Amino acid sequence: MATFLIRRLIQMVIVLLASAIVSYALLYLAPGGPTAGLRQIQQGGRNTITAEDIARIKARFELDLYLPYRFTRWLAGFPSGPVTIGGQTFLADTAVGCAIPGQVRLRYPDGTSEIIEEGCEQYVTFADLTDRRTSRGIIFGDFGSSQVILRDRPVSVLIESRLPYTLQLMGAALVISILIGVPLGIYSAVRQYSRFDYVMTTVSFVGSSLPTFVIGIISILIFAIAAKEAGLPYLPPGSAVALSDYTVPLIGTVEAESTLDRLLHFIMPCGVLVFVNIAGYSRFIRSGMLEVLRLDYVRTARSKGLRERTVVLKHALRNAILPFITLLAGVLVELFGGAAITEAIFNWPGLGRLLVDSIERSDYTVAMSLTMVSIFLLLIGYLITDILYSVLDPRIRLS
Amino acid sequence: MSTSTPTRPASQWELVLRRFRSHRVAMFCLYVLIAIYIASMFAPYIAPYPRDQISLDRSYVTPFQTSKIGTFHVLGTDHLGRDFFTRLIYAARVSLTTALTVVTISTIIGVVIGLVAGYFGSWVDNLVTRFIEFISTFPTFTLLLIAGSIVLQSEQAIPIPDILTKLFSFLMAINEREARQVVMIVAIFVLLGWTGVARFVRGMVLSIREQLYVESSRALGGSHLHNMFTHVLPNAMPPIIVSYTLGLSGTLVAESGLSFLGFGIQDPTPSWGNMLAFANSYMFNYPWMPLVPTLPILVCSLAINYVGDGLRDALDPRVQTEIRREQRDALLAAIRERSKS
Repeated sequence: MATFLIRRLIQMVIVLLASAIVSYALLYLAPGGPTAGLRQIQQGGRNTITAEDIARIKARFELDLYLPYRFTRWLAGFPSGPVTIGGQTFLADTAVGCAIPGQVRLRYPDGTSEIIEEGCEQYVTFADLTDRRTSRGIIFGDFGSSQVILRDRPVSVLIESRLPYTLQLMGAALVISILIGVPLGIYSAVRQYSRFDYVMTTVSFVGSSLPTFVIGIISILIFAIAAKEAGLPYLPPGSAVALSDYTVPLIGTVEAESTLDRLLHFIMPCGVLVFVNIAGYSRFIRSGMLEVLRLDYVRTARSKGLRERTVVLKHALRNAILPFITLLAGVLVELFGGAAITEAIFNWPGLGRLLVDSIERSDYTVAMSLTMVSIFLLLIGYLITDILYSVLDPRIRLS
Repeated sequence: MSTSTPTRPASQWELVLRRFRSHRVAMFCLYVLIAIYIASMFAPYIAPYPRDQISLDRSYVTPFQTSKIGTFHVLGTDHLGRDFFTRLIYAARVSLTTALTVVTISTIIGVVIGLVAGYFGSWVDNLVTRFIEFISTFPTFTLLLIAGSIVLQSEQAIPIPDILTKLFSFLMAINEREARQVVMIVAIFVLLGWTGVARFVRGMVLSIREQLYVESSRALGGSHLHNMFTHVLPNAMPPIIVSYTLGLSGTLVAESGLSFLGFGIQDPTPSWGNMLAFANSYMFNYPWMPLVPTLPILVCSLAINYVGDGLRDALDPRVQTEIRREQRDALLAAIRERSKS
């Protein structure tokens, strides 16, 4: 067990590092970012943006550094300046980036000309790095600062402000759907081919083949718009709290930001997630149970004269629920990452929407932080399920 | 039919076909899908209006209504006055062809890689599995978003063979600039999509290659290529077919989800996802609007899944469809009896 853990942890570190490199490279390819759109501003207003201004903005977001340095500074906050050994500084003049790229005007034979960036006019050296405010590196828990969404504010502030909403929504949806989905799956397996089973399998089949955005939109149409027009109690269609008080038939006036208000906003997104989850979970448990209920040991338990209840819940369920655990490996990621599409439809201020926003608006430090945290959580999830599996199923030995 | 020919026992595929045919819902769904796809192939002839014709005189027309300028719209018009029915048919062509090409290409890649990895084992297998494991640690959805945004913002920067854009613009009845975008979206989905197929094909091949018939073929001197494609692959086929159909609906939904969030196929090119995204923002004033693009997504993903379900039953004799049908008939008979009394 100990060797297994050590080996897995080393593997995890390698995978994390590799995926950090790949995703960083991928985002480096992406266009946009804090310097995008500056030229448009320049053309519109009287203030002209000089090369120095752009260099300053780039320096603030480290965009002027060469990729390897940028990566290591982002990852571990290194290098943070020239190397000092025994009072002597080394490498102070070595270039690590380019502050102002050189410009060359190309004149074409047909009279047109084009300015392209070529070479470098002013380099950034190790010595320049000393004065910079740096992040301590993502592996030490410092995510750096946001580039677009909340300019210059730490990414951690942004994540902290969204995390409670996501945790609330995903946590509640998860608990409720396990509490409902597992018993439903068991019951419909025990009563296979009964009318209940038919209804259950059909509903969960439909539920799991419909995309969440379709379910979300239809439920807004029914529970928010149609219900409101019909004068029935309706649910607010989006966001987490209301901005002003509103009146709902039968319930009365709902104060903005009260618990009731939050609850009303919570019901629909949570309901959609619960519906989708239940459809998946109950099908999974049902097929697992069906397989186990056929086995000899279940028959043995029955022929010993045990009550059906004991046979199903004690003997069969224990084996049937094992594969379910692997399904839960992704739970940590889900809890953190949220459900981007559901959050987008219901305007829920969670982390899933933050991810979509950050990519849409090219705020790559935010996107990178979210990606890295979810990869980390996924790996942790895999580890936990492997350990859980070996604890619950004695047939499996970790080695 | 001449009686002299000895009755040949039905081949495995004939049995499968027969079993599939008897699955009524799946057959119906298959017909629906085929009908939709054929209709979309004839889009220019069926569509009552030009695809992108904008006219503010006839914006927000409710379904089955005539606009102010006297044009009739079966499914209404959007905020720019473009006819929904027309765009839905063109979008069917884009969305369904995207799903078909993505799943076909990624299944072929996945099957070949999984087959090779599982058949040869040892270091080949190790390399492939490690690589797949590595890819699957990335959150797929995030990667899709990032890749989508890169592709859409630096459209001209990525070189695409001319023949590909021409092919897609022909297949989807869109111009070449739009086709470039679609090609890139397809490429992203393929890049992220083959790993799942490869993983499960590898798993199956691992057990199939240990079977006696493969061993005897090897003993008879059958080449690796011969063994792989005549003995191993056909026996791995049923789950591959099922995963192909389920992959279709998965990709359809994922593509419309991506387009819904604005990272997929972009506006003048119609796709069910981006039409829904626009309709969605007008839902409070025109509640019928989001329902229009929702309908085909709903119908197609349900239909594909039902076909997949029927195929699974037909291909896997362990699922006792016969028993199921008997039970269902008994149930129906009981209900009829009760309703009579």
